[in-house]
Amino acid sequence: MTTPPLNPADDAFAARLRAAGLPEDAFRPVEPRYLEERRGLLQGRAGLVVAPRVTEEVATVIRAANTARVGVVPYGGGTGLVGGQVCADGPAPLVLSLERMGAIRGVWPEENVLVAEAGAVLAEVQAAAEAVDRLFPLSLASEGTARIGGTLATNAGGVNVLRYGNARELCLGIEAVLPDGSVMHGLKRLRKDNTGYDLRGLLVGAEGTLGVITAAALRLFPRPAREGTALMVVASPRAALELLALAGARVGPGLNAFELISGQGMGFLAETGCTARVPFTDLPDWAVLIDLGLGPGDDPEAALADLFEAGAAAGLVSDGVIAHSEAQRAGLWAMREQIPEANKRVGAIGSHDISLPLSAIPDFLVVAGEAVARLGPYRVNAFGHLGDGNLHYNVFPPEGRTKSDFPGAREIVARTVHDIVAGFDGSFSAEHGVGRFKVDDLARYGDPARLAVMRAIKAALDPQGIMNPGAVLG
Amino acid sequence: MKVLVPVKRVIDYNVKVRVKADGSGVDLANVKMSMNPFDEIAVEEAIRLKEAGKVEEIVLVSIGVKQAQETIRTGLAMGADRGILVVAAEDVQQDIEPLAVAKILAKVVEEEQPGLVIMGKQAIDNDMNATGQMLAALMGWAQATFASKLDVDGDSATVTREVDGGLQTIRVNLPAVVTADLRLNEPRYASLPNIMKAKKKPIDEKTPADYGVDVSPRLEVVKTTEPPVRKAGEIVGSVDELVTKLKDAGVI
Ligand SMILES: Cc1cc2nc3c(=O)[nH]c(=O)nc-3n(C[C@H](O)[C@H](O)[C@H](O)COP(=O)(O)OP(=O)(O)OC[C@H]3O[C@@H](n4cnc5c(N)ncnc54)[C@H](O)[C@@H]3O)c2cc1C
Repeated sequence: MTTPPLNPADDAFAARLRAAGLPEDAFRPVEPRYLEERRGLLQGRAGLVVAPRVTEEVATVIRAANTARVGVVPYGGGTGLVGGQVCADGPAPLVLSLERMGAIRGVWPEENVLVAEAGAVLAEVQAAAEAVDRLFPLSLASEGTARIGGTLATNAGGVNVLRYGNARELCLGIEAVLPDGSVMHGLKRLRKDNTGYDLRGLLVGAEGTLGVITAAALRLFPRPAREGTALMVVASPRAALELLALAGARVGPGLNAFELISGQGMGFLAETGCTARVPFTDLPDWAVLIDLGLGPGDDPEAALADLFEAGAAAGLVSDGVIAHSEAQRAGLWAMREQIPEANKRVGAIGSHDISLPLSAIPDFLVVAGEAVARLGPYRVNAFGHLGDGNLHYNVFPPEGRTKSDFPGAREIVARTVHDIVAGFDGSFSAEHGVGRFKVDDLARYGDPARLAVMRAIKAALDPQGIMNPGAVLG
Repeated sequence: MKVLVPVKRVIDYNVKVRVKADGSGVDLANVKMSMNPFDEIAVEEAIRLKEAGKVEEIVLVSIGVKQAQETIRTGLAMGADRGILVVAAEDVQQDIEPLAVAKILAKVVEEEQPGLVIMGKQAIDNDMNATGQMLAALMGWAQATFASKLDVDGDSATVTREVDGGLQTIRVNLPAVVTADLRLNEPRYASLPNIMKAKKKPIDEKTPADYGVDVSPRLEVVKTTEPPVRKAGEIVGSVDELVTKLKDAGVI
């Protein structure tokens, strides 16, 4: 885009914000936490950090930024994995943190709706739903830190997408401040509202490039009365898919999650001293974690045992364990949830958040495995939300070596993996977004017509390019 | 040697307990029930003894409602050999008191002649911590309670007990009653292939009358109340705000 360069968020701009009425307590010290990228891949910059308390203050900030042509980086919990919340280049931007806008504005249990401000921490929203005996099903390992605005801006997925959908599908309406400082009041608590373009759907997943989400109306669900969890050893990824189909046929919508875990991932848990206990003496190559949520009269443990029996008869499963208490359910889930931590401790050369048509997954794993092996003596930990066709395909150095022994490998590995993904008609970013790390991937793999529309939308809503400069479209 | 392990079906440890509106007890309708966690530890210990070649057979006993059969099945899937279900109540709300349970267990022990009874130190629902001691007394056996380590050697057992301020190691002659504490072991998951096999393992069904024991309650629950709720904290934005709030509250 040929917009003039932005200006830094300097003292003069701070003075303009004060003059525009932004109260003193909204100004925050520029602490390192706003500028860190969790894997140290970027060092962020900021001229100013502000944390407004109400939507009107957000509008004041954005209006002033638009007038002064100052870049704005919306900041939620800072857990994003693609560098969307960390701006390293260009004039020092303003970081706009939603941390002081954490209120739950209302809960309507009879409507199954909750309205939360963008700064509400995901775990707090889950707790507010639980307090009225409802479920807010969005669930990620980062839920103690990630904020609603951030999860919507990235259209986060997590472990319950199979049953309840991703963040966009859980959102009925949003309130947002657009790049010109106007407030879009869209907190509709409606399930049906066919009145023109879907702007809620547009701002969700825009990663802060089209405006600041300030509040959202979110969908709640009845809590499943009976839940059960099992870990089953499958013969292969193809067997895992067949088991998924079998599970769908038997328990239908009761399937909460269907997560693939590799033997490599289980090995990493032990290798890195994670606390989660792997319940097998000999590590299997592949296992699936299956979680069911059924009605009050149902018995998920029996349903899981029946599924195992049917799977065994079909030659799909050979071994497995079942949780027979909530403590054991938590134990099995801990295994799945600690894999990212184990990965971090081992130190990945590259991590790829990919999605594929379900039936392409077994072939993809073979083709990608062979291609990665040709690049070097790497170890692969492929795991994730198999039920959604979403794999975290992470590549690691061999045992005893570190990623620094393989300079330059990151880019080659990513290119190789993403090219193969594209060949299978998959996506190079299933749930983490584009941010700053995947801008080149979007340019390379994105459909040209679609990219042109995205640029036109960006230019129409944010002609000065102040919103999250450098993210998504570059 | 044969080991007997009593297992109780209780409200799951992680379920949020709700007191019934009339205060007569805790609402158990439609909540997740599991094996008492200390009993799970007892079952695990018995299985480890069997795996070490010191025990030939593990018999589980559960006394309660018919659904306690599921609790026995869980233990069988972990690795126990057979079960005895004593159906002593029809209403899931009814708890059988420790003395009645101990009397039934004493009769089962007379029939089965185990060399060792391993049981949980207490049930997490009523927290009585009495059944093991009562059973030992009724049988005139040695008792080793709150075990965190158990070694069986011929006709005696060495047991490390968790006592106030430390550990105590005692030797008891067998047969004996050992009650399991939290740190004795970490119970295994029930394996799915074993669940299939456990379906074929036998469970004998009995009633208290078969043992000539009267299970009618001797205790009366006068009242059940929720623990007082902790007031929610509040996050303040600055030190000044904190000071103001503390002053308002009259604390400083
Ligand atoms: C351990 C771990 C596990 C994770 N697991 C998953 C997972 O399973 N599934 C998944 O999808 N993701 C996962 N994530 C990444 C996920 O994207 C983030 O956790 C979350 O969605 C981002 O929320 P946040 O509040 O931290 O946003 P931030 O990191 O602060 O921001 C993320 C992006 O959103 C923008 N943004 C933030 N707030 C707003 C707002 N109010 N308005 C407009 N734009 C905004 C930022 O500018 C940035 O571009 C994981 C991350 C971690 C660290």
